[in-house]
Amino acid sequence: MDLEMVKYLSKLGKLNFTDEELEKVAGDMTSIIEIMDTIKEIDITYDPLKDNHNVYLNGLREDKAMESFPTEKILQNAVKSENCFVVPKVVE
Amino acid sequence: MDITALKIRDMRNMLDKKEISAAELTDAYLKRITEIDGKLESFITVTADEAKADAAKAQEIIDRGEASALTGIPLAIKDNICTDGVKTTCASKMLEDFVPPYNATAMEKLNSNNIVMLGKASMDEFAMGGSTQTSAFKKTKNPYDLNRVPGGSSGGSAAAVSASLCAAALGSDTGGSIRQPASFCGVTGLKPTYGRVSRYGLVAFASSLDQIGPIAKDAHDCAIILNEISGYDYHDGTSAKRDVPDFTAKIGQSIAGMKIALPKEFYADGIDDEVRNAVTEAAKWYEKQGAVLVDCSMPSLKYAVAAYYLIASAEASSNLSRYDGIKYGHRSEFGDSYNDLICNSRSEGFGDEVKRRILLGNYALSSGYYDAYYGKAMALKQKIREEYASIFENCDIILTPTAPTVAYGVNENISDPAKMYQADICTVTVNIASLPGISTPCGYDKNGMPIGMSIIGKHWDEATIIQAADAYEKQFEYVPAKI
Repeated sequence: MDLEMVKYLSKLGKLNFTDEELEKVAGDMTSIIEIMDTIKEIDITYDPLKDNHNVYLNGLREDKAMESFPTEKILQNAVKSENCFVVPKVVE
Repeated sequence: MDITALKIRDMRNMLDKKEISAAELTDAYLKRITEIDGKLESFITVTADEAKADAAKAQEIIDRGEASALTGIPLAIKDNICTDGVKTTCASKMLEDFVPPYNATAMEKLNSNNIVMLGKASMDEFAMGGSTQTSAFKKTKNPYDLNRVPGGSSGGSAAAVSASLCAAALGSDTGGSIRQPASFCGVTGLKPTYGRVSRYGLVAFASSLDQIGPIAKDAHDCAIILNEISGYDYHDGTSAKRDVPDFTAKIGQSIAGMKIALPKEFYADGIDDEVRNAVTEAAKWYEKQGAVLVDCSMPSLKYAVAAYYLIASAEASSNLSRYDGIKYGHRSEFGDSYNDLICNSRSEGFGDEVKRRILLGNYALSSGYYDAYYGKAMALKQKIREEYASIFENCDIILTPTAPTVAYGVNENISDPAKMYQADICTVTVNIASLPGISTPCGYDKNGMPIGMSIIGKHWDEATIIQAADAYEKQFEYVPAKI
C-alpha cells in the first residue's frame, strides 16, 4: 500500500501519523492486504435474498417515550463539560 | 482443601449447606489475586471492597434460603463489558478513565443472581488481537508458562480462570476471543449462538459477530453461567426472542449415535502435528463411545480469515468512529478546531492494532474497493454459512482444533500482524456463521502446554455441544497450571 493511500485512509479514520509512522503503517498494511487479496481468486457474488433467516437481526421495538439517563450521568465521562459537552469553537 | 479450585456447582453446594461462606470464598480469591496477579497480570481492576460487600449481601440471601445458581460465586468480567460505577477500559488509553453510567444486560443478569464481582479482566485493546499483548495496561501471561501468551482477546478472563483467581469469567468472542484463550490456558470457553446473549453494554467491536459468553473450569460450569445470562433483551435489537432452555439438560446423556463431522481443511497443513494428533485422538475416543465420525469438507475455509478481517474491520471502523474525545474517552489537550481535537484525541488514545483495523475497514468500504473487498467478504459469509448448513444436514456437531498451535512466546508474532491474523483460521467461521462453539482441553504438548479442541453446534443448540464437551471432560486427565 502506498503512502498516499495510507494518508487518505488516515484522513477518513481521523487519525494522524508522523512521517516515520506512516512508513511503518504502510508496510504493515501491505502485508495485511496481501492476505485480504486471497478472496479475489474466488468468483462469487453476495445475494441478499439468500441471507440466513435462522439468525435474529434487527428486531424493531415500539416507538414510545421512556425514561432516559439523568444529564449528570451522561456527562460524567466528558473531560470538559458545563452542563453540556464542551467543544472547540465551530463558528467564527 | 483449596476452595478456589472448586467447580461452581460444588461451591453452590457448599455455600447452601453452610460449609463455606461467601466471604470466605471471596477472601480466598482476593488473597490469591494479591499473591499471584502481580506476575500473571490478568486483572486491570480488582474491586476488592465491592467484592466483600457483594459477598455480605449474597450471604444474607443464602441464609434466607433464596440463593440463585450464581449467588455468592466470585467471577471476573472482561473489561469491555460495562459495569455501572466501575471503570471499563477496553484495555485502551482511549477509555482509561471511562466509568459506565449503566450495566451491560449480561452484568445486570449476573447482579440479579447476586454474584461477587472480583474485578475487570484484561484483554487485547478493544478485543482486537489474540494474545492480550495489545492491552494498554496489563499484558497478561499464560499460567502454564509465564513466558507465553494467554491467547486473546479474552486472555485476562481465561488466565484468571486457569490460575483459579476466580470461579469463572465472562469473555466476549468476535472471531475466537473466548475459545482461543480458553484453549491456550487449558480451560473451557463457550461462544453462544449470535443473539443468545444480549450485547447491550458490550463495547462494540464488530456488531454482527460479537457475542458474550462464559469461560469456566468445565463445560458444565459454562452451562450454569449461560443459563443465567441468556435471553431476549429489549435493548438489543439482535437478541433473539426465543425461550432459553436449560443448557445443563443434556449433560450425562449418552453420546452413542451422535454424528461428529471432521472437515478435512481444519486438519490440513498449517496445524501443528501435536495439535492435530490430540484432536484426532479425541475424535477416536468419541467413536469408541458409539459416536459416528463423518469426513467432510469446507472448501471456503482458506478464504475465511480474509472474509472475517474485512467484515470485522469494516464494522469496527464504523463502531469506533464514536470516539471523538468529547462525550467520553481520552480528550487531547491539543486541537483548536473541532476536527483537530478529534484527530488528536483518537491518535493519542488508540493503539497500533486498533489503528490498523480502522485503516483496513476504511479501505474495505471505500469507493472503488467496496465490491472487491467488503462485497466479496459478504458473499463468502453466505458461502461459509451454506457449507456449515450442508454439513449439519448429516451431522450433529463438528469437531476441530481451536487454534493451529499451543500458546506461543510473549514476544513472538507481535511485530507481524499478518501472521497474527492467520492464526485465527480455526475460529472465525463460527462467528461468520453465527454458530455456537465451545473449546475444551484435549491434551498437552511436549512442553506441557494445553491443546484445545472446538465443538461447533447447530444454531441455538448449545445444549448438545455442552453435552459432548462434558462427556469428554469427565474422562480427560486435566493437569492444572502450576502457578
